[in-house]
Amino acid sequence: MSNNQYWKGLEELNNSPEFLQRKSNEFMEGIPMNEAFKEETYELSSTRRDFLKYFGFTVSSAAILAACNKAPIRNVIPYTFKPADVVPGVANWYSSTCNACGAGCGTIVKVREGRPVKIEGNPDHKMNNGALCAVGHAELLSLYDKARYEGPLKGTESIAIADLDKEIIKTLDEVNAAGNGIVILSSSINSPSTLASIREFAKKYPTTKHVQYEEFSSYAIIAANEKSFGKAVIPGYRFDRAKVIVSFGADFLGTWISPVQFTHQYTAGRKAVNGMSRHIQFETNLSLTGSNADVRIPITPSQEGVYLLNLYNKIAASTGAPTLAAAAIEGPVNMVENTAKELLANKGKSLVVSGSNDIDVQLLVNAINSALGNVGSTIDLNNYSKQKMSNDAEMEQFVSDLNDGKIGAVIVYGANPSYNYYNAEKFKAGLKKAKLALSLATAHDETAMDCGYVMPDHHSFESWNDHEAMAGQYSLTQPTIHPIFNTRQAQESLLVWASVAKDYYSFIKENWATNVKDLNFNALVEKGFMDSASASVVEDIKPTTKDAVKIAAVISVAPAVEAKADLNTVAANLAKVDADNKGKLQVVLYKKVGVREGRLSNNPWLQELPDPISKVTWDNYVASSIVFASKNNLEDGNLVSLKAGNVATEIAFLRQPGQANNTVSIAVGYGRPRFDKEGVAAEVVGKNVYGMVTFANGSFSYTSYGASIEKAKGSYTLAQTQTHHTLEGRDHYRSTSLSKFTANPKTFQKQVEVISLWEDRDYRGHKWVMAVDLNACTGCGSCVVACNNENNVPVVGRDQVMRGREMHWMRIDRYFTFNEFTQDGSADRYRADFYKDLKVDSNNDGDANEKITEEAFENVSVGFQPMMCQHCGHAPCESVCPVLATTHSGEGLNQMTYNRCIGTKYCANNCPYKVRRFNWYRFNDNDNFDFHFNNDLGKMVINPDVTVRTRGVMEKCSFCIQRIQDAKLLAKRENRGMADGDVKTACQQTCPSGAIVFGDVNDVNSDVHKLFNNERSYHVLEDIGVQPSVKYMGKVRNTFDEKQNS
Amino acid sequence: MNIYNILALVLLLIIIFLLRIRGHLTKAINSKFPENPDPDWIVDTFRPWYFHLNKIIGLITVTMISLVLLGGYGFWYSFKIGNQQGYQPDQPIKFSHQLHAGQYKMDCRYCHSVAEKSKNASIPSPGTCMNCHKYVQATAKYNGQISPEIKKIYTATGWDPDSQKYLYQPKDLKWVRIHNLPDLAYFNHSQHVKVGKVTCQTCHGQIQTMKVVQQFSTLQMGWCIECHRTTNVDVAGNKYYDEIHKRLKDGEKWTEEQNGGTECGKCHY
Repeated sequence: MSNNQYWKGLEELNNSPEFLQRKSNEFMEGIPMNEAFKEETYELSSTRRDFLKYFGFTVSSAAILAACNKAPIRNVIPYTFKPADVVPGVANWYSSTCNACGAGCGTIVKVREGRPVKIEGNPDHKMNNGALCAVGHAELLSLYDKARYEGPLKGTESIAIADLDKEIIKTLDEVNAAGNGIVILSSSINSPSTLASIREFAKKYPTTKHVQYEEFSSYAIIAANEKSFGKAVIPGYRFDRAKVIVSFGADFLGTWISPVQFTHQYTAGRKAVNGMSRHIQFETNLSLTGSNADVRIPITPSQEGVYLLNLYNKIAASTGAPTLAAAAIEGPVNMVENTAKELLANKGKSLVVSGSNDIDVQLLVNAINSALGNVGSTIDLNNYSKQKMSNDAEMEQFVSDLNDGKIGAVIVYGANPSYNYYNAEKFKAGLKKAKLALSLATAHDETAMDCGYVMPDHHSFESWNDHEAMAGQYSLTQPTIHPIFNTRQAQESLLVWASVAKDYYSFIKENWATNVKDLNFNALVEKGFMDSASASVVEDIKPTTKDAVKIAAVISVAPAVEAKADLNTVAANLAKVDADNKGKLQVVLYKKVGVREGRLSNNPWLQELPDPISKVTWDNYVASSIVFASKNNLEDGNLVSLKAGNVATEIAFLRQPGQANNTVSIAVGYGRPRFDKEGVAAEVVGKNVYGMVTFANGSFSYTSYGASIEKAKGSYTLAQTQTHHTLEGRDHYRSTSLSKFTANPKTFQKQVEVISLWEDRDYRGHKWVMAVDLNACTGCGSCVVACNNENNVPVVGRDQVMRGREMHWMRIDRYFTFNEFTQDGSADRYRADFYKDLKVDSNNDGDANEKITEEAFENVSVGFQPMMCQHCGHAPCESVCPVLATTHSGEGLNQMTYNRCIGTKYCANNCPYKVRRFNWYRFNDNDNFDFHFNNDLGKMVINPDVTVRTRGVMEKCSFCIQRIQDAKLLAKRENRGMADGDVKTACQQTCPSGAIVFGDVNDVNSDVHKLFNNERSYHVLEDIGVQPSVKYMGKVRNTFDEKQNS
Repeated sequence: MNIYNILALVLLLIIIFLLRIRGHLTKAINSKFPENPDPDWIVDTFRPWYFHLNKIIGLITVTMISLVLLGGYGFWYSFKIGNQQGYQPDQPIKFSHQLHAGQYKMDCRYCHSVAEKSKNASIPSPGTCMNCHKYVQATAKYNGQISPEIKKIYTATGWDPDSQKYLYQPKDLKWVRIHNLPDLAYFNHSQHVKVGKVTCQTCHGQIQTMKVVQQFSTLQMGWCIECHRTTNVDVAGNKYYDEIHKRLKDGEKWTEEQNGGTECGKCHY
């Protein structure tokens, strides 16, 4: 058995009265009849006379309805000439590239009758190996976004494209003739052809400058690498090669640079438990990455540099390099010493990364990696990343030039500084001084509204493009839908204004033809990507602004770090940061896994995706340590007034276990409006805190010192999903440490004797089952969004989430546990140390909860458990359904028949896993749920093979039965048996860590059959004897054990 | 329910209404002239065989009988709701299956080309018609003129018969859909036509004799289930079924039902 006692949240730990009340009542409120009737304009608060009136009306209308027993006439309109490759009812798949962030994951897009309905990772693509993150999936919904521009605008008036072109060219000519600057302000661009089109533009207008701006920048890495290694690039990180991973606040599994790629690499070293890597995370806010770490050390942001200095000194002392001046810091349980030991033991097989955007910090990280010989093995400077290309200093310069009136024309492409530049007012003021301000935005954004002209870009699903996300790894985007609106591809607009008479498709084709020998462009489009190895790429198809340094062949020896004098300055700077800010309130700005920088903030799938850690939807908030909360007398649900930098706002407050003591963190990416079905800006979601960013030491800093947070009047309830279901003290989630697991591999197994009232079923054909590896699952939530897309799961909105009515078929349960000390603490030295450090009152012999001090809450471990219908063999839901709406199939599926369901909710009450969701409303075509199901554009995303459910029926995970049926039919048609992997559920298909495996357990050669016999596999709640079809594989943490520590 | 039923109902209501008025008037007269009561027509007429019994028992009996009758009617009627068997709407082009499939023996799959690949059999695009009707114009029937029905194909595709070119803007052809399965039921043609080797006529009737197509089957769930219960799966020669049949081993006879063909999740998801 595992040893950790898990809890779902503070309310469960404290057993607050509200929690006790909620947990005993799954459907928190009764049937909202009044509400329901009001919405449909029946007033139920009515008299007896009214009742009779309605009764009479109902009877007569029933008679009339019965009188016309004719279905409405439905028309079928065939294609006039059917395209040869379109078969109505059968999807076509096109390879493309994800454009949701700069990571450049390869995708395949499912197109039904000309409209994309699903996006999946391209299994052959090196970057993502078939996986996609939540944002990548959700980007599809942004194609059908009501906030999109429907045509070009001049001010707020629409204008014909030809007229707009004339006016733009005239103004650009004037600006250029006057010698004033023209700036193309974009986000990171790694597309060779886009850069070529910008060069074409610059040919005609020589005063053009291209500024790349990222609101959440990684520029410090680029700048530091230029200084350390003479190469201004973000290196290719190889987490798969590292036996020891030490991360200082880099959320590489969630939001940092290329999360899907890194997750794939990371879990490659952790799925096989023997020889798994060790991951140590030093961080302030509890990030997705930190929650997966084997050892997590909470630190304040100002201490990051000091920790790194100490780590460097320990390593330098061992390698004989001179040490740097630094205040000694050890951290709990000699953490710095232990980390240094681990790293030194794994020279060349370790990796230290930092998420900080401080150049000094990154210089020190480079020095450490260099000293450990990691450069050239786990840090690849040859196959470097081009996923983030921004330059903070250039952006600063640009804004100041803009205010000085030096810039005559600004073309904004994919950037949104009016929203996310820390001094947005300054940018806006400067923009007014420019003669021409033009936006190439796809959808409404703050900057476009400040621009005089908008020439909307195609959405990426309507565009051609190419990408070079990693040096030498090229991939293509191809359009998968005819442009919906009167838009034009941004690159083409640039070409038109540069008087190059070419559409962008021909431009890309020619660009490739001139740069790549023997190119078969159509084959490339079909495949979707090209590695430099697979074709002879002519040297440098993409000179970028930063490519000054030519790349040497292979760096076999770690290159020397710059002069020590420099590192001494770094040490002094970092020490000063800590000294200056010690007493101040330290705030960390972070990106959420769903909304990230806020570029897709009008995307209901992402807004409703619960934050993996706090399980909050539809909001950002001040996440504070428990210590800070009690010191300032703050509670969950308080409103606080926040003042820092250019931010002064009132924002919700939440206590967050895992947050370093006396610090708080706030997510960026919020404070943008939602757009209703008319495409008009409606309510604003969360608060914008980009104003807290500062520009310091040559780069943007996402740490804010000295903010003031005070209790404000009023309260604000956050829509959290975590408290809707409870553990009741059972061990759903099982984990252990590696040493314990090695000693007892059967630790997750529980011997239970189950008496069954039912006869066992006999599954001889297929038996569909699922295995979920908790060691691989990072909790990123991409399965949740994939499931929403595949199964037409409705979005319910903040208000309904608060009432516990979210509809997600798949949820990721997040469990906390205190780090190894609540149970049998004392014998283990490591634990004993923790015990001491956490200031636990060891004299108290009462129950574990009483021993916990507020300081202890920063030291929590987290477990993630994807939870979906377990398709029980003896399903408790089936036996209580009065109308046989949920039945069992001969293939082990628990089937849900919506048109039979009358909504008694007995099944949900009887479900031990709480995975059944009830439709309290009709969510489609309902103005109260103004999300994508409420307009014709948004409804284009609906999967035509899955029913859209109506009000009053239960629903739940179906194991993607439509995919099972489809795969079976394909096998039958192709006259072959089923092979393992023919059926992949949507969640399995997209999982970046490959944590979910689905298949036929009766096929002895299938992966899932093997996993079911794995020693780590267990059924959740096996003792109640419901025979679930899902097995979980217990989590093994590679924590330090006694021997290593002594 | 047709107009006569409604009329009958209305007239019945009027009768009851009038009888009640009559009753009230009688009562009023009787109270004014109690010494000479006006005979109650209803009581006098029905008393001999109805009010002879216990009033309550009688009332209950009458109510029960009417309820049973009404319920029976409702039950019978509910099976007809949404059943469009025999539905035979006018189509924009008077296309005759009897001529094409019957007389000329064209393979159904020439026009309904994706029935073996897709869930839809698909309505052929006018472009498919043009494969033949560029040349076949049935002029003999129409005194040397092009058949007006064939002309409609030309209009739909924008074909100019004189210059033998597509000159005009095509116009959508709006066929009226005859077979309407509710959205909650999933049906796949390829499963039945290609895998199950079911002939078109099994569900669509003798289509090759229909000048105007009508819905042959009820398309109701009972009709689906009935077939799945009685039809044997044709396992011979299909490697998928070979394997599954080996696993299931249920003797020689193996109906679709035994293969799980009547489970809810096979059609409803």
